Amino acid sequence: MAGIEGLLRKRLVVCVGAGGVGKTTTAAALALAGALHARRTAVITVDPALRLKDALGLDDLSMEPHAVAVNPSAHFDALALDTKRAFDALIERFAPSPAVSARILANRLYQELSNELAGSAEYMAMEKLHELLHLRRYQVLIVDTPPSAHARDLLTAPSRLTNLLASRAVGFLQTPAALLGEPTSTFSRVALSALLKVLQRWTGFDLLHDLSDFAGAFEHMIEGFQTRAKEVGRLLRAPSTAFVLVTTPEPHTIETAISFHRELVDGGFPVAGIVANRVVAFPRLDEHDSAAGKWDARLQAKLLRNYGELQALSRRDRRALRRVQAETGAPLLAAVPAVSAAPTSLAGLERFARLLVPM
Amino acid sequence: MRVPRLLFVTGKGGVGKTTVAVALGQHAAEHGHRTLIVETATDGRLAHLFGQHALGAAPRRLRPGLDAVRVDARELVEEYFSRLLRFQVLSKRLLASTAFNALTAAAPGITEFLLLEKLLGWIEPGLGRRPGYALIIVDGPATGHALKLLRTPRSLAAMVPGGPLGKAARRLLALLGDHKRTQVLLVSLPEEMSVRETIEAQQVLESDLALRVARPVMNRVFPRHFSAAEAQVIEQDGDLNGTPAPPLLAAARFAIAYRREAERHVGHLRRALRVSPIVLRQLFAPSVHAADLEAFGRTLGRAVLGDEAASGTSTSTIHEHDPRQ
Repeated sequence: MAGIEGLLRKRLVVCVGAGGVGKTTTAAALALAGALHARRTAVITVDPALRLKDALGLDDLSMEPHAVAVNPSAHFDALALDTKRAFDALIERFAPSPAVSARILANRLYQELSNELAGSAEYMAMEKLHELLHLRRYQVLIVDTPPSAHARDLLTAPSRLTNLLASRAVGFLQTPAALLGEPTSTFSRVALSALLKVLQRWTGFDLLHDLSDFAGAFEHMIEGFQTRAKEVGRLLRAPSTAFVLVTTPEPHTIETAISFHRELVDGGFPVAGIVANRVVAFPRLDEHDSAAGKWDARLQAKLLRNYGELQALSRRDRRALRRVQAETGAPLLAAVPAVSAAPTSLAGLERFARLLVPM
Repeated sequence: MRVPRLLFVTGKGGVGKTTVAVALGQHAAEHGHRTLIVETATDGRLAHLFGQHALGAAPRRLRPGLDAVRVDARELVEEYFSRLLRFQVLSKRLLASTAFNALTAAAPGITEFLLLEKLLGWIEPGLGRRPGYALIIVDGPATGHALKLLRTPRSLAAMVPGGPLGKAARRLLALLGDHKRTQVLLVSLPEEMSVRETIEAQQVLESDLALRVARPVMNRVFPRHFSAAEAQVIEQDGDLNGTPAPPLLAAARFAIAYRREAERHVGHLRRALRVSPIVLRQLFAPSVHAADLEAFGRTLGRAVLGDEAASGTSTSTIHEHDPRQ
């Protein structure tokens, strides 16, 4: 399982995987390991569990990097992403005038978009990334990512939002027939008006009005967004970047890891390997180990039965890890043994980090 | 005739929603309730549990009394607009346009509405169609999306007062809000994030949306193998002088720690929601056995479907079902 230390020599490490596999813990532990390796390290977390948040001293306002001391001579920076607020901050920062920013923030479509529709969590993770990389304050930047069903949701988020705004959806407001994408006949236009009626019903939501308003207000900002989206896209593909597939040995997270890997490779993103969390690994018992101890036969029978169950889980996990390696061809960087609860303190995180990265 | 019932199963990704939906569906079917399971994911897990190919857009029989169907957001939108535009060539061009896709993606609630409308079709079959289902179980999307789905008729009914759309919205609202007919079943794991999400979801469902929420399911709870006295022996013994515990003891400690953690989360959920969760045990086999599904089905049937499907078993509070204890 060599190679995980190599991550700390990268400039950017992106942890991806299904929800609930311990991405945030893994990202925070990698940052802690970075600190112990005397690298200037920061971690961007997304929606950390309450107690991990406490352990890192983060609160809802921790949008700016904030130092976490591992020991008197080692620290790393951590920040938490609140996507909604981050998006608002972004608008405020880049809008040409306070009036434009106020118009955007009050727009219902913006509110919908910034909440979920355009993958704003992913988008904001990428924007924050751009900002921090630009500062050049860190040697290693570890990025936790929002749970996405697909890697492409994550990686195409910046361009998706700008595409939506730059697309004909906007032109359509002036010329509905533009929706069809080609010069259209009268017949098509008549049919289209049927569609428009339907959309008008949805405009109980004022959708069309909102969209036009939104697009108008956003117009000035699109170029900047596009430029940054392009830069982030380039950075994510650079050789100094490493994607880490975080998974647990459960069937659905393994499948997610496999499909993420495929999408990452297809998109030209560098995958360093797999980190498996919550791995159960009880080996086969030899005769000496299964011999009765100083306890009674009843307890002995229970102990054996319990061992048998955990061995079955171990077999399942071993098979799952073999499968994910065979399917992806990516190396297993670490297999972190299962413990009953995720780390809830800095000391707990350090124990986790030491299991993850040999130190 | 009994009115059909509708059950939405939701929870964080990977908590076992499909297993719960299938166990319950099978159980209901065996007790004579014609049941339909609606798969909203595209991973094909549901059909896989029955050794079948991926489900299609028309209900398919999985076993006697149990059908399953898959609904796909993209297909629903296509179907709806094709029906509306009537001209294939035109609708094809329209559906292929990025602008149109951007619009439908941004229009709040279109796909959610179409999904619910589809359910209505299975619940209230038209003239001459085969009799409807007694129970429809929606193997739902993850919590966030499920909340959005269940909120749609409410926002739609408020915003579109008249017309066929408003009428459909009000019909859906009446169906979802009918506590005798519709329930939401939240599935949780004994983990902090999952429990927190379950508590938050229950509050939104009950307080904001006035929906009926069943007792939550706590899935993958480790069995309690060891008595308190035995646990004490196990935890005191071994690793003196820094030597590692023998494997049998290490494994027992692992199981005890997991059991404790699970009990802590069950307690948290019980205190927060003032109701005992339905506890399903951790399975150890690499795939779900028929006997496990049946046992889960019995536990869930008693707790969720209540009386008639339980056929003669007592309905005392069940904290855990462990067929091997």
